[in-house]
Amino acid sequence: MTSYLDASIPTRSEHLWRYTPWSRVHPTKVDELPTVGELVIVSDDLEIKTSFKKSIEHGNDIARIFLDEVVEQTHVLTPGEGISHVQIRAGGHAVAAHIHLEATQTSSVMFHLSGEAEWVGLWLTGNIGSNSHLSVGLINELSSESVLVRTDNWNVERDGDFELATLSLGGQRIKSDIRTTLSGSNSTHKQFIAVHGHGTRHDDHHIEIHHKQPHTNSKLIVNAACDDRSHSVGTGALTIDDKAQHTDAGQVFRNLLLSQSARAEAIPELEVMANEVAAAHGAASAPLDSMQMHYLMSRGLSKEEATAMLVEGFLVDSFVEVRSDSIREAMQTRLTVHLECKLIG
Amino acid sequence: MMTQDAQEAVGDYRYGFHDPESSTIRFDKGLSEQVVRDISELKNEPEWMTDIRIKAYNHFIEREMPTWGNCNSLEGINFDNITYFLRSSDKTEKNWDDVPEDIKRTFDRLGIPEAEQKWLGGVTAQYESEAVYHSIREDLEEQGVIFLDMDSGLKEYPELVKKYFGTVVPHSDNKFSALNTAVWSGGSFIYVPKGVHVEMPVQAYFRINAKNMGQFERTLIIADEGSSLHYVEGCTAPTYSTDSLHSAVVELIAMEGAKIRYSTVQNWSANVYNLVTKRGVAHKNATVEWVDGNIGSKLTMKYPSVLLKGEGAHAEIISVAYAGKGQHQDAGAKVHHLAPNTTSNILSKSISKGGGRSSYRGMLQVTPKADGCRSKVVCDALMLDEDSRSDTYPTMEIGNSTADLEHEASVSKISGDQLFYLMSRGHSEEEAMGLIVNGFFEPFTRELPMEYAVELNRLLELEMEGSIG
Repeated sequence: MTSYLDASIPTRSEHLWRYTPWSRVHPTKVDELPTVGELVIVSDDLEIKTSFKKSIEHGNDIARIFLDEVVEQTHVLTPGEGISHVQIRAGGHAVAAHIHLEATQTSSVMFHLSGEAEWVGLWLTGNIGSNSHLSVGLINELSSESVLVRTDNWNVERDGDFELATLSLGGQRIKSDIRTTLSGSNSTHKQFIAVHGHGTRHDDHHIEIHHKQPHTNSKLIVNAACDDRSHSVGTGALTIDDKAQHTDAGQVFRNLLLSQSARAEAIPELEVMANEVAAAHGAASAPLDSMQMHYLMSRGLSKEEATAMLVEGFLVDSFVEVRSDSIREAMQTRLTVHLECKLIG
Repeated sequence: MMTQDAQEAVGDYRYGFHDPESSTIRFDKGLSEQVVRDISELKNEPEWMTDIRIKAYNHFIEREMPTWGNCNSLEGINFDNITYFLRSSDKTEKNWDDVPEDIKRTFDRLGIPEAEQKWLGGVTAQYESEAVYHSIREDLEEQGVIFLDMDSGLKEYPELVKKYFGTVVPHSDNKFSALNTAVWSGGSFIYVPKGVHVEMPVQAYFRINAKNMGQFERTLIIADEGSSLHYVEGCTAPTYSTDSLHSAVVELIAMEGAKIRYSTVQNWSANVYNLVTKRGVAHKNATVEWVDGNIGSKLTMKYPSVLLKGEGAHAEIISVAYAGKGQHQDAGAKVHHLAPNTTSNILSKSISKGGGRSSYRGMLQVTPKADGCRSKVVCDALMLDEDSRSDTYPTMEIGNSTADLEHEASVSKISGDQLFYLMSRGHSEEEAMGLIVNGFFEPFTRELPMEYAVELNRLLELEMEGSIG
């Protein structure tokens, strides 16, 4: 395994690091390997087994190489039936953790990420076994000064079903790299991401979905509402191998720009090597619809209330297809509260 | 006779014939500062152009290979094994009968003078490095339209060339634009005066005949205020087992209210690297349209782009690509919205067959000052067999909240229902597939002059032959 200090630092010409260079999300300086503490992970519903971390396949990605070296423990969760809530608390200068989920039945896990740490590293891995269904929700409510580096590696086996919903509200700079492999035939993956950009928040989500076997399905929805001077980046890489015939894959990236200084980037890439497939992606970017604003304001809402309602409708829409009721409701409730605080005051 | 290797490399390529090479001047292979100086001296160019060439050569030497596109495939280019200048005729002829017999025979087989008589406003035929034949209709000349090959343009209108040369694609843009600026030869120079509408399309035809030849034509088109022009370009090369390089630079300048449409059907043989930088600038209320067809070549990396610089400017890009065995069509489009209320439409269609790879690589950028922009990008891909590959790499960079942008892409195979319907009406499976492919490309072919559209459909039919079973 490459050690971090021997690894080459990626340049901005690399697609993954084009908009958020590694130097901007490293806790100190890129040629340093600082001491990183452990995130606190607690759950009332679920037993968490903690062990010394074994080395994890990092695929030469600099963020994974770094996390592999600074994280010392692995927290293994084996969720049971129903929903389990897991609190991830970040305190101190720099903290990180590796959490592994092993799904063997129908289960849901809701992660609540919060705290004041300056730098947070979170590596989520998981295996969704044959015929298992796993729903995972993650709400990022870190403090407005935090930097978050998130890397995910998920594997879905034959007839497995995996859905992942992310609500990104907190932190100053976020770099998420979420990779899912559909390694078993007839496996399904759905991913939903809602981003609210405010202040000078910089939120970069890179999502890779790799179809390796026939009859696999995937769907990705990324909705970002960008206010103030925030910057949202959404990059997708959908790969369909030549073996993965009869695949159905779709990706949609939508950006709602709420202020003159907000920026958004959308790069939904598609690499298709099989011919018996339905693969599509779409990206759209637009301001608030003036007709909708006019309608709401003519019904007595203030400009702020009308804006909040439309933004809420736009972001809540990201989660309507989440199958797990408890995850969908938890995401939507938290989003509504957040927007009322931010947009109406 | 073509060698066995060459035949395998290129398959059934209609324009694969080549004539015995009868050049009057041929440079040794390889590139050096002296080669660049010699090209400039041979053409008796002004000092400022020699200086630009030398500057560009130095930049080419220092510059890394591009990182945008299928860059791994570029490693196959051996810059030392390419002839950078080859003169086939001592001068550019105005009368078709005066063109040297062997060259005339080539273009006769391609149908150039015939097309000119029928429907062209003017024509330039370039063979190897330089134009061998050139003509323009008298009425256009009377209206002040300048249509020359680039070398003559530099001789006759040096001030105009100096003013605009390299303003849209500077030599420092990328490694291949630097190479082109250093060794350019031939291409078209067009100036359309204020308010003049050139009703008939003008055409250039580029032909590489020699082995290991590099063709580096340079085209500069300026449409002055309120004018309009349709320029059509066709390209072919014979089939050899060793590779040739085509690295052109095309600069379009559409002044206020002007309109330029630039149509290309590229049908290089499958041993040609086609690495072209094409860019247009649209000033206030101007329109730049690229209608771009890529059928041939080994590797094409071509992303026609438009800088929407003036308020109300519009860009329209229609691009089709056909990738057969051993081909990679890395085509796309770039539009930069730099001014308010600018609009753009991009339509990309591609077909992959026999293990070919087609990619759409696009860039849509909206800068903070560009209020009220609108853009729509649609990419459709058809995969004809399981060995082929189709990729989409779109990029949208939005720095203005009032922008309204859409991108959609889909990859699919030929619909079984459509095939069944056509076959139930008596067509063979091959004919039915051919009809569906022609229909798939229809948004492109309907924008071409009739003769080109017919030619393209015939080419596609040829490519589709043997696609069943």
